[in-house]
Amino acid sequence: MLTKRLSLVQAVLMAMALVVVLFPVFWILMTAIKPPTDWNASPAIWFPSQPTLINFKTLFDPAAIREYGVGGVSQAATDAVFGSILASVTATAISVAIGLFSAIGISRYGNGSKSTPLVILSGRMFPPAAIAVPFVIMFSTIGLIDSFTGLIAIYVAVTLPFSTWMIKSFVDDLPREIEEAAMMDGRSRIGAHLTVTIPLIKGGLFATTMFVFILNWSEFMFALVLSYTNVSTIPVQLAKYVTATAGTLYGVQAALAVLAMVPLVIVGYLIQSHLARGMTFGAIKQ
Amino acid sequence: MTSMTSTPHTIIQPDRPTLDIGGLCKRFGSKTALHDVSLAAEPGTLTVILGPAGAGKTTTLRMIAGLDTPDAGTIALQGVDMQGVEPKDRDIAMIFDNLALYPNKTGYENIASPLLIRNIPWQEVQTRVFALAATLRISHVLKRLPKTMSGGERQRVALGRALIRTPRLFLLDEPLSSLDAKLRIELRAELKRLQREHGHTFVLATPDFHEAMAIADTVIMLREGRVVQKATPQQLYDAPADRDVALFVGAPQVNLVTAQYQPDTGCMQAMGARLVVPDHLVRVLNGMPGEFELGIRPENLALAPPDSADIRCRLLDVEPLGLKSVLTVHNDHGQLRLFVDSVVAGGLHNGQEVGLNLLHTGKMLAFDPHSGRNMAL
Repeated sequence: MLTKRLSLVQAVLMAMALVVVLFPVFWILMTAIKPPTDWNASPAIWFPSQPTLINFKTLFDPAAIREYGVGGVSQAATDAVFGSILASVTATAISVAIGLFSAIGISRYGNGSKSTPLVILSGRMFPPAAIAVPFVIMFSTIGLIDSFTGLIAIYVAVTLPFSTWMIKSFVDDLPREIEEAAMMDGRSRIGAHLTVTIPLIKGGLFATTMFVFILNWSEFMFALVLSYTNVSTIPVQLAKYVTATAGTLYGVQAALAVLAMVPLVIVGYLIQSHLARGMTFGAIKQ
Repeated sequence: MTSMTSTPHTIIQPDRPTLDIGGLCKRFGSKTALHDVSLAAEPGTLTVILGPAGAGKTTTLRMIAGLDTPDAGTIALQGVDMQGVEPKDRDIAMIFDNLALYPNKTGYENIASPLLIRNIPWQEVQTRVFALAATLRISHVLKRLPKTMSGGERQRVALGRALIRTPRLFLLDEPLSSLDAKLRIELRAELKRLQREHGHTFVLATPDFHEAMAIADTVIMLREGRVVQKATPQQLYDAPADRDVALFVGAPQVNLVTAQYQPDTGCMQAMGARLVVPDHLVRVLNGMPGEFELGIRPENLALAPPDSADIRCRLLDVEPLGLKSVLTVHNDHGQLRLFVDSVVAGGLHNGQEVGLNLLHTGKMLAFDPHSGRNMAL
């Protein structure tokens, strides 16, 4: 919570920053409810005179936009929305689950080598473009291309370093004596982690889940190159609203972008309340 | 880690020491934490592992608990080797130096957790927790989370979590540090009483020699990962193994002065005075002339009229401690500290000439000037 009062200069700078950040959001929201005639009118129309939901309708009924005399796309966005939810949720769950155990392993038992965590992180150092093509070739060979299994596998691989490192920071913050106290009290090692470690880092676990979900939800490169017809996600679908016949369907694109934002806004709001540290206050002598 | 085929509880040998450690070694990277540490704790006794920070006290306790694995050496509980036995199967309770309470559990849940893990019926759990909480005078914090408790209350909850069951061994890692002085003295007396009343076996680590002196049956003096001395508190004080132990045990510290033994006269030259060598040191010095380090506890010196005193000095400083005061005196040959009644100290002024007489010469200590070893041992 912001408890400190801002000075005038700070307030002005803050307001300017907010305008820069929020203007695109405002423009997307407005475009999403503009009829086709207003999309790229010149001079720009800031607030549509006749707000409409036709863009949203077109997402699920591609022909709907034709009443405005504009050509449509053949594919509804339904599959893409479903695909995004399936790929993001599944990949996030797997990534966080594996990340949780590797984080505990590295933080508590990782006395083998100091480089292990760095090696895990090095997976993040490659730009996706550099590894996308090799993956297309490999996945074609083993039949994973254009499948959710393949996309989810890639998403898990790409986000695992992130979830491991982020959860590790929360485990590192937890004094290991609390787990050891549970062992002395009669828990096995794994029992101590399940009953002590995980409940005490659940805030961090939740925050990690949300961040990984955002990464997966907004991923574009792999979804684009690894999918043809079976698999689609929202970012890929967004790119499809550029058609040869009708140009770019700005309003429809904006409508899908607004839909895509909804979970992110919810998630972002939930993260900030769960990122609070200090869970262990009182457990140990300060 | 080797798997445990038989539980250690089936072959208890009651005549064996509760704890028997032999040749324990542990390295962390290039640093040797423990070197050939051996010690034993008899049933129903309170053993204190005493040593400065970094001596290896916590490492020793953690290996007894099974939380760390020794590089070499054996740990036996009631005659049963503990290698490969998980902490939960060792039947040991431990109080950590940082307490490690469960932050998300109430005082009641913290104390009850060892019983709840063992599936003891809740009625019995409740009876035992309430009774113990009353003994420890923490009944009022049972419904509260650790973060709302005071330091002393947290300490008692940690104590309760250990004392709620009767394991064969209790490990206490600096359980009273970071409490204020009054509470520390109160709690350590309570600890000793609980231990004695129930016949518990305690191994307690502390850097505080006062604490060790006050509660220990046996003191294990640990320094740089090695056992320097095993003794009763009084033996440790009267016959320290070496100069460093003598300096560690006692406040103000033991006075150390260089002395020159003169066998022909039976005297020694120290602090610019000729002093009679007491009988127990005559044997030790073995007729060999030469230098040694003479140790005199501050309580074995007394003020005397300068003209008739053993040693003549000038008063440097007076440190009042209430009933007694600590005087620091010096002359060209060195510096000494001694206790006097504060009434007497009040009549003295800095720079004044004072005389000192030796008391209890039988308690004088002689140390080898090179190795620091107590020559009388």
